[in-house]
Formats: sequence, C-alpha cells, structure tokens
Amino acid sequence: MSAAAGTVSLGPVRGIRRAKDTGFTVFLWTCAVLALVPLTWIAFYVVSKGIGALSWNFFTKEPAGPLNPQEGGIVQSFVGTGLIVGLATVIAVPLGILSGIYLAEYGKGRTASAIRLVAYVLLSTPSIVAGAFIWALVVVALGNFSALAGGLSLVVLMWPIVAIASEAVLRLVPQELREGALALGLPRWKAIVRVVMPTAGAGLLTAVMLAVARALGETAPVLLTALGNDYINTDIRAPTDAVPLRVYDYARTPVEALHGFAWGGALVLLAAVLFLAISTRVLSNRQQKRIA
Amino acid sequence: MTKIRRLAGAGVLALTIALVAMACSSNSSTSGASGGGFEGAALTGAGATFPDPIYEQWFKDFQQVESGAKINYQAIGSGGGVDAFTTQTVDFGASDAPLQADEIKALPAPYIELPTVLGGVVIAYNVSGLDSGLKLDGDTVSKILLGDIKNWNDQSIAALNPGVSLPNTPISVVHRSDESGTTFVYTSWLSSQSKDWDTKVGADKAVQWPTGTGGDGNDGVAAAIGQTDGSIGYLSFDFAVSANLGIADIKADDGSYITPSIDSISKAGGGLTFPIKPTTNILNSSATGAYPIATTTYLLLYKDGTDVNKTQTIFDFVTWALTKGQATVQQLNYSPLPSDIASQGLTSLSAMTVNGQPLTASAAVTG
Amino acid sequence: MSDQTVVLGAGAPARVRRSRLIDRGFRGTTLVVGLGLIALLALMLVELTTGAWRTFDAFGLHFFVGTSWNPVSGREDFGALPFIFGSLVTSGVAIVIGVPIAVGLALLLNQVRGSIANPLTVFVDILAAIPSVVYGLWALFVLKPIFDSSVEPFLIGTLGKVPLIGALFRGKAQGPDLFTAGVILAIMILPIVTAVSREVIAVVPRDLREAALALGATRYESVRLAVLPYARSGIVGASMLGLGRALGETIAVSLVVGNTPRIGWSLMQPGATIPSWIASSFREATSVGLHRSALLALAVTLVIVAFFLAVLSRLLVRRTAELVSGPSADEVLTEGIYPRAG
Repeated sequence: MSAAAGTVSLGPVRGIRRAKDTGFTVFLWTCAVLALVPLTWIAFYVVSKGIGALSWNFFTKEPAGPLNPQEGGIVQSFVGTGLIVGLATVIAVPLGILSGIYLAEYGKGRTASAIRLVAYVLLSTPSIVAGAFIWALVVVALGNFSALAGGLSLVVLMWPIVAIASEAVLRLVPQELREGALALGLPRWKAIVRVVMPTAGAGLLTAVMLAVARALGETAPVLLTALGNDYINTDIRAPTDAVPLRVYDYARTPVEALHGFAWGGALVLLAAVLFLAISTRVLSNRQQKRIA
Repeated sequence: MTKIRRLAGAGVLALTIALVAMACSSNSSTSGASGGGFEGAALTGAGATFPDPIYEQWFKDFQQVESGAKINYQAIGSGGGVDAFTTQTVDFGASDAPLQADEIKALPAPYIELPTVLGGVVIAYNVSGLDSGLKLDGDTVSKILLGDIKNWNDQSIAALNPGVSLPNTPISVVHRSDESGTTFVYTSWLSSQSKDWDTKVGADKAVQWPTGTGGDGNDGVAAAIGQTDGSIGYLSFDFAVSANLGIADIKADDGSYITPSIDSISKAGGGLTFPIKPTTNILNSSATGAYPIATTTYLLLYKDGTDVNKTQTIFDFVTWALTKGQATVQQLNYSPLPSDIASQGLTSLSAMTVNGQPLTASAAVTG
Repeated sequence: MSDQTVVLGAGAPARVRRSRLIDRGFRGTTLVVGLGLIALLALMLVELTTGAWRTFDAFGLHFFVGTSWNPVSGREDFGALPFIFGSLVTSGVAIVIGVPIAVGLALLLNQVRGSIANPLTVFVDILAAIPSVVYGLWALFVLKPIFDSSVEPFLIGTLGKVPLIGALFRGKAQGPDLFTAGVILAIMILPIVTAVSREVIAVVPRDLREAALALGATRYESVRLAVLPYARSGIVGASMLGLGRALGETIAVSLVVGNTPRIGWSLMQPGATIPSWIASSFREATSVGLHRSALLALAVTLVIVAFFLAVLSRLLVRRTAELVSGPSADEVLTEGIYPRAG
C-alpha cells in the first residue's frame, strides 16, 4: 500500500485503511469518555458529600472542641477568605487593568513585549512559589503570619491574570471607536477611560472574575503566609483562616465529623468558582455580540 | 452593561454587609460580660500535635470562664513550636520534647517550662487477623523499624506471642515526616532499648528512618496506618484510640507486658522531676504497672511579660488547666498529671511577672 | 491635530497643555504599572535567591544530587534529588496518561460540529477552574481507595510481570504512592492541554483537511496528513503548559503522594515532589539552621524549571500559529488559558 511516509494510496477505502479509521474514531470517543468521567464524577461527588454538611452552624459558628465537632462550623474561614481575597482584589485589579491598558493602548515597542512576556511567565508561577516569595518578604519582616501576607501572595497570582485578560479584551474594541473619539476632540486618556473601557466593560469584569476565581481556590500560598485561625479575624496583621486551607486541614484529620466539613467547604468553593467561570462565559459572549 | 455593573455593585455591597454582620455578631456574642471579672485577651500559640485535641477542648472550655480569651493554637509540630516561641511570633509554645541546650541558648529571654498533661506513645498497627494487644518489646520493634523483620509472622514476633496466629502479611512501617516531639520520645525509648538503634539512627525530633512512609503529624500517621493493611507506626495514645487501630502491649523493664491506658500512663507520671532539663523524661518508669513509653508535654512561656491583659490571660489559663482542666483530660484519652506534679507546675508558674509585678489568678479561675 | 485647537476655541493653548500633561501622566502611570510587573518578577527572583543562598553556599551542587534530607540541627544535610525525582516521575505519568487523552478529546471537539461540541467545550473549559484542594479531597477519599483495592493490584498482577516496564509496577498496592499522584495530575492537566490543543488544531486551515478528504482520504488520514504535522509544535507547547502545571501542583499531590523522600523504580511506592515537600515542611521549618533556606532553595529549583517551560511552550505555540498564519499566538494562548488554583 503506502510506501513513503505521508502518502496514501487513493482508491476505494477498504481493509486496513478502514480499520485504522474506525480505530481512530473509537480512540477519540474513548478519550472523551476517559476525560469526562472523572471530571463529572468529581463534581457530582463533591455536591453529594458536601450538601449534607451545609447547615446554619456551618456558616455561622466557629469550630467547636474535639468532643462535639459537629456543633461547630467554619465561619472564620469564610470571613478570612473574604478578607484575604478582598484585599488581594482591591490591589491586583487596578494594577492589572492599568497594565492591560498600557499593553493594549500604548504597547507597540519592545518594552511592551517585555512586559507581556513577564506577565505570561508570572502567570505560570507555581502558587507555592508565590507563597514562599511573600513568606520570605512579608512574614519574616512583620514577624508573624498575617492576612496581609496572604493577600499579597494572591496579588502575585492575580495581577498577571487581570493584565493579560484585560489586554485581550481591550484589543477587541474596534479601532474605529478610538479614532472616532479622538476625532471628536477627546484627549487620548479620556478616549480610553470614557469610550474604550466602558465598551469593554463586561470583558474587564470577566478579567476580574477570572482572577478572583483563581484566588478563591488557592491553598498553597495561603498555607505559607496566613497560617490559619480558629477564630474570626479582621485584623490584617494577624493570622487568618481561609476556606481552602481549612478544607486541606480537615481532609487530613482523623475526626470523621470534620471530613464532612471538608466536603462542605469544597462544595462552597466549587460552587463559587463554577459560578464565576460560567458568568465569565456568559459575559464574554455578550461582550462579543456587542462589539461585533 | 450598566445593568451588570449595578448587579455586581449590589452583590459586592450585600456580601460586604453580610461579612461585617457576621463578624460583628460573633464579636458581640463573646464580649458579653460574665459578671464583671477579667475577661481575657486573644492569644496565639503553636507547637506539638500530640496535645492538640486536649488543648483545643481546653481553649473552648476556658472561653466559658473568660469570655474574651480567644486562644488560637496551630499544631505545627514541636520543632515549629519551639521556633515560633524563640522568634516570639506566638505568645506561648508547646513541645513534647523538653528544650534542648542549643534551643535554650537561642531564647531571647528567661522562660518557664512546665508540663500540662500526660500521654503515651503507643505502637499502633492495622493488620487484618490481629486484635489489639499484640506483645512487643523494644528490641523487636527496633528490628522491625530497621527493616530486619519484614513480615508479621516472623519468628521474633511469634516468640513473644505464643498462641497467637500471625498472618503472612508484609510489614509496612509508618513514621512521622515532620519534626515531632512524639518522634523524640519514641526514638529515645528505642535508643534505650536497642544498642543497634542507638548507633544506627539515634534519638531526635526527626531522624533518618531506614524504612517506611512518612505521615504529616499524628493525624497523618493515624490516617496512613488506617489505610494500609499490615501497617505499623507510632502515635500518641489518644490518636490511636480514636482511630480504632490495634495497640501493642509493651514489655517493661521488669519483664511484664503493659497495656497502654489512662491508668498505666499516669502511673509513670510520678517520676517527673523538676526543674525540667533537656534530658527529663518518664520513660521506662520503675513504678509497677507503669507504661514504658509514657510522656508529658510542655508549655513554654516567657517569664516576664509586658502586656498586662495577655500575660494575665496566660497565667489564668495555665492555672485553670493545671487545676480544673485536669478533670476533662480523660474524656479525650489523656492522663491527668499526678496532683503533686501539678502543684510543682503551679509553683513554676508563680515565677511569672508582668512589668516586674507578680501575678495572681483571677477570681473566675480560682472560684 | 490642528483641528483640535480650532474646536477648543479661545484659551485653548493652556487647556491643551494641561490636557497633554494629563495625557502624558496617564500614559506614564500605565507604563509604570506595567513595568511594575517586571519589578515584581525581579523582586520574586531576588527574594527567593537571597533566602536560598545560604544553602547553595553550604552545599553547592551537592544540593541537586544529594539524596538525604535531614533538617535536624547538628546533622543537617539537604539533598534535593528525591524531590526532583518525585516531581519528574509524577509529572511524567501525568503527561503520558493525560496528553494522549487531551489531544484525542481536542481532535474530537474539532471534528464534531454542532450541538455536542459546544457544550462539551464549555464544560471542559469550566472544569479547568476546579481548585486543587477539591481534586485533592476527591483523590484522597475516592480515587486512592479504588486504586488501592482494585486498580493497582491489577496492574501489579499484569504489567508487573512484563519484563522491563514491570519494574514500575512492583510492590504493595496499598498506601499513598507516586502512581496515584500521577493519575490525579493527569486529570488536572486535561482541561488546559485540551483547551490549548483544541485552539491550536482549530487554526489549521480547513482547506487542507477538506482537500485531503476530497482526494479520498479517510478522516483518520486527513488528520494525520493535514492537521497533525502543522499542529505538532502547538500540541507539544500545550503539553509543556500541562507539564508546567503538573510540576507546580501542590495540594492535590500532597494528599496522595505519601510525602516520603524516596528514589526507586516502582510507581507503587510513596514519594515526594518539590511543591508537596515545601508545603508539608514549611510551617515547622525552624529559622535556626538551614532548613528554611533549603526549602527556599527547592522553590528556586522549581521556579527555574517552570519559567523555562513557560517560555518554551509559548514559543512552540507561537510557531504553530505563525506557521498557519492564523490569529496571533497571544490570542491562542489567552483563549485557552483558564488559570486554575493550586
């Protein structure tokens, strides 16, 4: 049949060629099944195991003592995650959007390419390294673990995401809009702030959501910087708990009742993250329709 | 698009209000005065995993006594506890091993070291076909850990357990992967029982284990033993009981086999000597019926405090723990300190001062 | 530009000057913030290296090839080889299992048009957002027991008997091990490798494939001849992205790998990866001595490899995009990347 590599003998399809084709189709569908089964299994398992743990106590009480663990909850983890992720968002979003604006609106030269490359490299930083970095920089300097350190370690991860995603979104805004604004006499900065950004609005929100979704689920950097806490903490210079951290700790404890809490926490995380991911999709579809 | 902005804004506002409401509500529920006495301050501590369950329970119970005393304890291991104490990133430290000479030298200020509760290091196993109560001695255990004995039906084990049918299962060793006072106690006992172990491995918070898997903390080891048939490892007594693992009877120096229990462990407690030195231990106690691998765990405090509220809280808590707190320890499978040991602990505590002034326990604690 | 002064009218020069100042200020601010990213990267590398320096100074190259890790003061010895080994092995398993499946799925998503493809694509993309700790929880309580009781004994009984590769499947099935960690990593890298591969395959012009089909090639042949040769670099790039993610994964691996520094042939034995070891040792690493510095040295090792892979994968994906002169590489990369927590 085919002698040289990359050639096929033309003519009716039979025998080996048909077999290879069928085999290929089988392979593709097997891959689909192999990929989707574990992923859906995880989602359903977390839901079924986690639902049972969600209760009023779970969301409003701090952990109880070891003699009666089921009477407690993990309220301090929710507050802690809110504090740490909120802090990180407030810092990373302006920085990220401004970076994105530079890359999209002013970025044609080598500086911009360098910044882009660095953003991409930072994007692939293992989260534990971000944690180790902030640990060395902030925890050692302050002398203790803190929510501030936790927030900063998330900034290291969120900033590049917001920057790269905002650049992509801003670039999609048609050039005509910019030119029109300038032609009407608007200074460049106003054209960007008053015309381009609002047009990209939903897209920018998407960028923020992507970053927040990532930050919500991060365990490793928080492990190294915020330490954890059994009580609600609102002082950014003190150790703070976070939901993924608490799930990780409870996964490893021998107390059965706390395993249920781990699943509950995992469920809340999953729901939050999936909600953000889906909203991101919806928003970006709407954004594309708007611009097209 | 403005609709989305409005929705997002509203969502963020709602979330913020909810968080603030939760934070405030829990604050107010604990700042209610309990009769106008000293209310206690928030403290942080870190250290040993071995006493973690009883400390957690104590902190909760103590909050009923002093409502403002929020004590946040992180069980990161004895090594981490000593370090956090040394760098003063916590208000108190906890260690299963007494402070060693180089650690004492590194401390920036005078310290107080006192015992809080008794426990034991037990040899736990998970072997289908074997009940709890397998007899083992130091020599055999060392051989297992050195990798010389590889199967549960080995001659040496059979010799100690006549009449017990041992399954033909390979032995999986589990040990601590983190630095730990439990390891310190256990390897100290092994070194005292086997010259081979002493020369090849030695005793320390972390050693080079010749064989086996590592588990993180007592909980990690308990989980690892429970998950694999044929495993053997060492745990603090309370963890082994709650994890439903088989527990070995250990040969004492007088030849008898002692089952670890709250009672046999407290029999060993009488041997604790003050002041606490780097070599202080209650291993191989000569008291009849005393469990050979018993241990106590220590709290590390700085002698001279500067923050009035915090120092008073620590003083109150330790006083309470050494007196009223001892009543709850058995429920969590720890052994209470013998009363004379507890009194000596209180005497050590009385050296504590704040801004030069000595302290007295608050009424809520002594009442 | 001269129209501008006409439009603004009297008093224009002052206003124009101020406007230009604000303009420059705005541009300057965005530039400074952009440069801040570079500063952040530099600061990170500096901070990690200074922290790790004491270890490198004390051990030199021995750090990378030493096999014992002893933090006890007085007997300190830090050799990273067991963790490098563990990282390479688990990531290797992840790539060997995960990439073929991901590429297969990506090809399928490209072939199948219409009502099945879109929701599937969206589904896989969304699953990329699942946090590592959720994967870890499931791996610990669901995957590991199944592996311990059925899958691993099966593999030991079958593949374990085959000469050569059998050495990978010897020993006891139970307990945490490198294989389980590798499999959960494979599952975790599926979304990203699929997404980027899908994008890379999608930019290959349809004409080529259709021409092959028109000439009588089967679907398999059209893919082999008209798609894969062009998409190959991009797929390798996608795999490198997956590899980078696998190497950096901490929490899920930490829960099932056993955290035991070990080097050996069998996948059925426990091990430790660089991130899992850093995570489990960090909180209790004492500042007296080299322990913390050694952990930072491990972090430096990881970061060098991760960055190298990131840059390489970007180049490879760009090469595919340029080869088929479709959308720019940046668009392909941004499309496919939904960062996931670790």
